[in-house]
Amino acid sequence: MLDPVTLAVLKGRLDQIVEEMDIMLVKLAFSQVIAEQADRASGVYHPKTGETIAQGITGLPIFVAAMQFSVQAVLQHYDSFQPGDLFIFNDPYLGGTHLPDMKLVKPVFFRGELVAFLANTGHWQDIGGLQAGGFAVNVTEIYHDGIRVPPIKLYDADRFNEDALKVILANVRNPWATEGDLKAQLAALKTGETRFNDLLEYYGTPIVREGFEELLERSERQMRSYIREIPDGTYSYADCLDNDGLVDQPLYVRLDMTVNGDSLHFDFSKSDPPARGPFNLAGFTTISTCNLAIKHLFPDVPVNGGCFRALSFNIPDSVFIGVKHPYSVSGYLEPVGRVIDVVFGAMGQALPDRTPAASFGTTGVTTFAGRLPGTSRYFFAGFPYAGGYGGTLETDGLVHGTTPLSMASFPPIEGAEHRAPILVERLEIREDSGGPGRHRGGCGTRYIARLMAPEAVTNVLGDRVDHPPFGVLGGLPAQANKVIVRRADGEVVPLPMRSKGILTLRKGDTIECNTPGGGGYGDPLERDATLVLQDVISGHVSPQTALDAYAVSILLETTPEGETNYQLDGEATSTLREERRKATRGA
Amino acid sequence: MPRLVGIDVGGTFTDGFYLDEVTGEITVCKVPTTPEDQSLGVIQNLALSGQSMDQLALLVHGTTMATNAIIERKGARCALITTQGFRDVLELGRRDRPHQYGLFGTQNPLIPRELRFEVEERVLYDGSVLKPLNEEGLAVLAHRLQNKNISCIVVSFLHSYANPRHERRVRELLRQWGDWDIVLGSDLIQEYFEFERLSTATVCAYVKPLVRHYVDTLRGRMREGGYQGDVLYVQSNGGVLGSALVAERPVYLARSGPAAGVMAASFLAEQAGFRNVVSADMGGTSFDVCLIVDGKPQVLEETLLDFRIPLRLPMIDVHTIGAGGGSIAWVDRGGMLQIGPQSAGAVPGPASYGLGGTSPTVTDANLVLGRIDPGFVLGGGTGKALNLGLAAKALSEQVAQPLGLSLEQAALAVIQIVNAKMEGRIRKITVERGYDPRQFAMVAVGGAGPMHAAAIIQEMGLAQAIIPYYPGVFCAMGCVIGDIRHDFVRTVNRNLEDLDMKEIQRIFEEHIAVGKDLLKKEQVAVEEVVVVVEADMFYEGQRHPIKVPFPSLGIDASTIQSWFEERYQRTSGNLMSGIPARVVNLRTSIIGRRSKLRLEQLATKHLGSAEAAIKGHRPVFFADRWHDTPVYRRWAIPPGSEIAGPAVMEQDDTTTVLEPGLLARVDEMGNLIMEVRNGA
Repeated sequence: MLDPVTLAVLKGRLDQIVEEMDIMLVKLAFSQVIAEQADRASGVYHPKTGETIAQGITGLPIFVAAMQFSVQAVLQHYDSFQPGDLFIFNDPYLGGTHLPDMKLVKPVFFRGELVAFLANTGHWQDIGGLQAGGFAVNVTEIYHDGIRVPPIKLYDADRFNEDALKVILANVRNPWATEGDLKAQLAALKTGETRFNDLLEYYGTPIVREGFEELLERSERQMRSYIREIPDGTYSYADCLDNDGLVDQPLYVRLDMTVNGDSLHFDFSKSDPPARGPFNLAGFTTISTCNLAIKHLFPDVPVNGGCFRALSFNIPDSVFIGVKHPYSVSGYLEPVGRVIDVVFGAMGQALPDRTPAASFGTTGVTTFAGRLPGTSRYFFAGFPYAGGYGGTLETDGLVHGTTPLSMASFPPIEGAEHRAPILVERLEIREDSGGPGRHRGGCGTRYIARLMAPEAVTNVLGDRVDHPPFGVLGGLPAQANKVIVRRADGEVVPLPMRSKGILTLRKGDTIECNTPGGGGYGDPLERDATLVLQDVISGHVSPQTALDAYAVSILLETTPEGETNYQLDGEATSTLREERRKATRGA
Repeated sequence: MPRLVGIDVGGTFTDGFYLDEVTGEITVCKVPTTPEDQSLGVIQNLALSGQSMDQLALLVHGTTMATNAIIERKGARCALITTQGFRDVLELGRRDRPHQYGLFGTQNPLIPRELRFEVEERVLYDGSVLKPLNEEGLAVLAHRLQNKNISCIVVSFLHSYANPRHERRVRELLRQWGDWDIVLGSDLIQEYFEFERLSTATVCAYVKPLVRHYVDTLRGRMREGGYQGDVLYVQSNGGVLGSALVAERPVYLARSGPAAGVMAASFLAEQAGFRNVVSADMGGTSFDVCLIVDGKPQVLEETLLDFRIPLRLPMIDVHTIGAGGGSIAWVDRGGMLQIGPQSAGAVPGPASYGLGGTSPTVTDANLVLGRIDPGFVLGGGTGKALNLGLAAKALSEQVAQPLGLSLEQAALAVIQIVNAKMEGRIRKITVERGYDPRQFAMVAVGGAGPMHAAAIIQEMGLAQAIIPYYPGVFCAMGCVIGDIRHDFVRTVNRNLEDLDMKEIQRIFEEHIAVGKDLLKKEQVAVEEVVVVVEADMFYEGQRHPIKVPFPSLGIDASTIQSWFEERYQRTSGNLMSGIPARVVNLRTSIIGRRSKLRLEQLATKHLGSAEAAIKGHRPVFFADRWHDTPVYRRWAIPPGSEIAGPAVMEQDDTTTVLEPGLLARVDEMGNLIMEVRNGA
């Protein structure tokens, strides 16, 4: 067994290697989603099992297991590897997520021996397919999503496969940007390989190999020790998507989660069948999602494949979150959100102190895309939803959180206006949108963008209009998502499927997105009335909601200058809360 | 005798560094910090050192007051006025969470929502006006603000870097309505990204009344004492600034103290003949490290002061990690030994302090291994000696037994892991940026730095470690040596081929003129003015620029293209063909170099020979066994001496540990310079 000091130092060095790969990829990338929103990941993987050994801390959590599957896919498709090989692919049925996530996998040799794989993934802005920038809601097959690349060699023993690159570039919009992203990924891998070789030089292969096993084993042990503290039993939860973008009926994710000693089993077999629209998941994506949801609950277990050894799954391909070819998965962000929600819903029953209420639950990608007049170039602007997080045992939910599966940020307004013909007219807190509770959910936001070019296509890919994020332990749900499209003359155009749709906009048309808050934690009647008063003063909660949900009576006084002053009516509040409690007990 | 004085206010101590510019004589002085009014501690330091104020040549000051006010949320009550629709940007930030895993996090914006307001106006990205400023609406708002007990107003509009006229008009109008301090988004930076610009302006307003009050108080106290000169302050970019500008733009003080330390490291190393240096300051709770390449400290364009509080100003790139003498050692659920990030702090402190702390810390491990004198008496006048038994008990129960190690092995493991953390951070700023550590020396300061330096350079292959004569008052020394510095930035965001070179030239010249004008106003003697000109550039379509230094002005597009390609190739290892290069920002720094201080006379009171400086021997544990180790009085070792490890050198505020296999020599400035012995 490696001594604890060597092991800790080795781990630190691996973490630094992947972090440096992450930073390099972001710095050199051309796609907005990688460069401004950090939609990418890098890692070191086990040479035999493909398990994750280290992943960069600013990478997207969803990739923590998806990249492990990607390396495993390469291991399955190729029997032997040689120095200078490099594989490229984006097949979501093999590696999870969706087509724009292009994965590069590189075997690393030291003194003629395969020691590890290095890999990274970057979300290319365009991968061909129906809609510039992807995320089209009106697609039904993987062939509409874009070009699908199976695991192939981009380099064969250092020989560059230029023909393969030509085929890929001929199938994407703005190919120079794609080539730039690819070069960024290659440069990051090159740096990673150099650093990793230094590490091997320093320790020698046997110690590094032993370190890999030890790190996996220790994370497994740590994760199992947490699971052992969860009371044994089966916990069930179900939640749904509004629709699949084409057929107007809800799509249910149904989970039976069984805790047995130090292992966890996730059974999704009662979920709804595959969707016609793009809101499906490959089974590997669902597994990745469960892994990251568990990591959100036990953040201090070091991330590697060992964390996930205690988890097992039943996800048949007859359900929409376990599909195989040729179902479309381009809307994968939304079912991923719902899978996280049901894991939290089930876990909330088992570990109520540790589990927050539901977060806003929709990545809600809203895009504007079109061709720049008179050119073959495309512009693209994407605004992913930010929203409230759920309340927790200790605190209110965060405002304007990034989606749980991601670390990606919201694009700066000034940057977006420089690059695309749009005008952002509003970005503000959406009052009253957090679910009431002893600790209330964080608020969502409202933003409005206006098209300044003659024409563009807007594609809205969200959810949570019909079924808002839930509260826990007596906490109430948050406000639901709401999207409003207005023509320049003020006419409101309904979005075909409320949270989803694709529309052609003309100059002056606007789109308004109201993102959901997070669910409330605990009974709102237990929230300190002075905190409710403060919420009303700041405008996070309206006086009406203070009264209806929190049973807090607030007196309004308007001064001659038009100022409104708020005061707590303590007596009325006590009476009101007492009545409310009696009514609940009676019912 | 007129003396040049540097005073740095830290969390625990207020340190003074006194230089007689005529004789070159240097003295130092430490007094406890006076948190309720830091200027009292400054005055006490001057008094204790025997410095009469009318004989004071210049006082240069470092303080972390501004950062502390942000972290502790003890700043001013401010209001915010934004473009209609954007008052919440300050609270929203850029869509994030504090940690990759764990869906929680709270924030506490510096200006609460009920004090954030909007006016009608809109400027576009090219500076054109879409919607004129609604002055009537502003008048109504100003009227409302009058009764809100506000001391400072931030005005930050979209695209004001491209056209600041609306912001400036608002300031003009508000001045007719009230006696508020007003900070404009475009005052500090003319660079795009609305949240970062707004946050920077807000930080400035939030600390302004506090800093101005402090600046006035200190100047008043100094005047009373007979000092007629200005008090200069160290800025986060390492330069110094006069008190009038500091009161106006206090945001430049954000990390004044650590920046002064880096400047001192850079200066001292250069004096000692080193150009490439890692400055490393290890105190009780944290480890601050910064890279100095070719004599220049690395500078960062943006720093996060707290969750969702970025500061978009050039600041010396000091990396801070939670590794210090008080860092707690613990074994995690997977059976892995971890150090920190929790710290025992000053209270309860390490187990050996006997103040109720029961967690084993790095200091406890150093004590158990004999590196710290078991008879060491705690500073601050408590007069209490360290308790070896308590340290051994904590380490034994919480580290040695769970891991199946002996007490010494456990203590050594604690030291090795905390060293590895520090090495990791050093590696991140050297190796990972393509610098070879073998070409760097480490300047190790702070209460704990000199104790760990030898092991770190050995493990990392750093060329040398330099332990300054006064490692405990290092930031105060940094105050004395800082140059005067002003930084400017302007966003242009156009492709190289579309740039009007005359316009570029004009922007640079304007920066230079304004900077030189500011230098004149400082009224501080400057020997030389240096101008540094750079551009942030990338390939069209990219988002993250690289910094391209312009060796000269009077430039044409093809020259800039070649400078850019050379830098890009170095950063990424490849070039993009057929994609135009784009200039995002133009950056100018105007630096007024002050005359350099001389350090030769630091080490004058020695005992004539290294042998005479030995005060005794004690057993110290290194690697695998106890060594009978000589203990030196640091001040008594004469310049020119060479000492072979193992050895321990003690002085009032720190202990230097020289591991076996290393050699230390004392240079003429009293620095201890350690390196691995040849053939060892």
